[in-house]
Amino acid sequence: MLVAFFESIKYSGHLVPISFLRIFVGYYYLQNFISKFGGDFLVRPRVAEMISQNLTSSQAPEWLKWVLNTYMVAHWQGFAFTLLALELAVAVSYIIGYVVRPIALIAVMTTLLMIYLSPAATQDFLKVLLATHFAFAWVGAGRCLGIDYYFFKRVRGIWW
Amino acid sequence: MKHFILFLGFIFLFLFVSHVNKNQSLLTGDQKPVIKVFAYSSFTSKWGPGPQLKTLFEQKCNCIIEFVEGSDSGILLQRLKVEGQKLGADLVVGFDQFDLQKATVEMSWRALDFSKIDADSQIKAAMKNEYFVPYDWGVLSFVARKSSGISMTLSLDDLMQTQFASKIALQDPRTSSVGLQFLMWVLKVKGEEEGFEYIKKMMKQVHSYSPSWSTAYGLFKSEQVDIVLSYVTSPLFHQIEEKNSDFVALEMIEPQPLQVEFAGIPSFCGNCEKAEEFINLMMSPEGQKILMEKNYMLPVLKNVRTGTPFDSVKVPFRLLEIEFPSLTQVESILVKWSEIRREASL
Repeated sequence: MLVAFFESIKYSGHLVPISFLRIFVGYYYLQNFISKFGGDFLVRPRVAEMISQNLTSSQAPEWLKWVLNTYMVAHWQGFAFTLLALELAVAVSYIIGYVVRPIALIAVMTTLLMIYLSPAATQDFLKVLLATHFAFAWVGAGRCLGIDYYFFKRVRGIWW
Repeated sequence: MKHFILFLGFIFLFLFVSHVNKNQSLLTGDQKPVIKVFAYSSFTSKWGPGPQLKTLFEQKCNCIIEFVEGSDSGILLQRLKVEGQKLGADLVVGFDQFDLQKATVEMSWRALDFSKIDADSQIKAAMKNEYFVPYDWGVLSFVARKSSGISMTLSLDDLMQTQFASKIALQDPRTSSVGLQFLMWVLKVKGEEEGFEYIKKMMKQVHSYSPSWSTAYGLFKSEQVDIVLSYVTSPLFHQIEEKNSDFVALEMIEPQPLQVEFAGIPSFCGNCEKAEEFINLMMSPEGQKILMEKNYMLPVLKNVRTGTPFDSVKVPFRLLEIEFPSLTQVESILVKWSEIRREASL
């Protein structure tokens, strides 16, 4: 697996800059995860506060607003746990380059949700992040400097 | 697909276990009372006295000291007023004599008995209130380099000499307590009318009025100015930390001002007894030594300095009496100073 990891540079060297970006984004997610896990994200209703503060001015579709208001505010602990777990999944996946494609698609969905839930000031950054995740899913960014290359060689398919 | 599901499952499981584990360790921690100490940043920083006092206290008290940081005493008081009760402050460290009136007016404090403290005779006057304990003090003076050839004894009037033109670093009294000390010093020594005339002339003489002591001292360190208003203990810092004996605190002909730092316990404290114990530690010879060596200020207790490099600090014979100016008095003086400053910069 280690040989395949470095061999990937030889056979998919054109993806090295994308891999660099992938690892960088993964590191950014890991930092976010650490500060949230170390803080009070899971024990205080930060997510519920975020929903109630930003949802009224949000451009989210009405059905999503309804779901968020009705279920997510009431069950903020589960929602916060899921968001944090997905953040960790994106961080680990991007850093080691494992199951990058499906994780990038999940990242696209969570980033889209965050765009709806965030104040206007951070939305531009999140939009760039959304495009980045989409690009990772499109090219299969784990195939270079990632474990995905090892599996891609053995089991071809759209998952890698 | 199998890889993806297993990976996600592993991540969720990992987070769940970590979260449960964190909660359990927090629960164990909860059995120990948490004492929240509001303090300014240089007290709580790793080079300040806070961490060492915390370690020492936690070894004995079976409790946890948690520092809540404010950048300076003014901001500390503001924060305490707005969210202190919500945050549950048990102890506040870092007021000076200018803050005391404000603190007493704006909040209620727990009475403390410190009659048994064997305090240095020079700061006995600071013990005259019943809510705030003085824990260290310093004498303000101008600090210069010996190699600059400046006379070691000066009067306030000597600062008007042409050799000092744009070579003096002072602090803005609106944002720095040291700057306010200088303003009060001049007014006390010269009287209000003559004092403000002096301040007017001083505007042309100073290099700049820095927002804080550290910025002004930075100007002095980078040799942009020849003298800076600081503490008589400042040269000792260079001597101990940098092995540089070139710095000297000038002896002033006029009586010099004192700055005293105080600690107090808000009446809404949750762990009041423990907070008092922490103050007792600060006032013990051991605690006083830590405060002296980390803050580079003089200890309140007698004899703590003996046998240490601080013994060599020359405390001026003539010191101004400690005063606790009222809020309105300070405000009116600052308004007048601001007017002079505005006129000078036009």
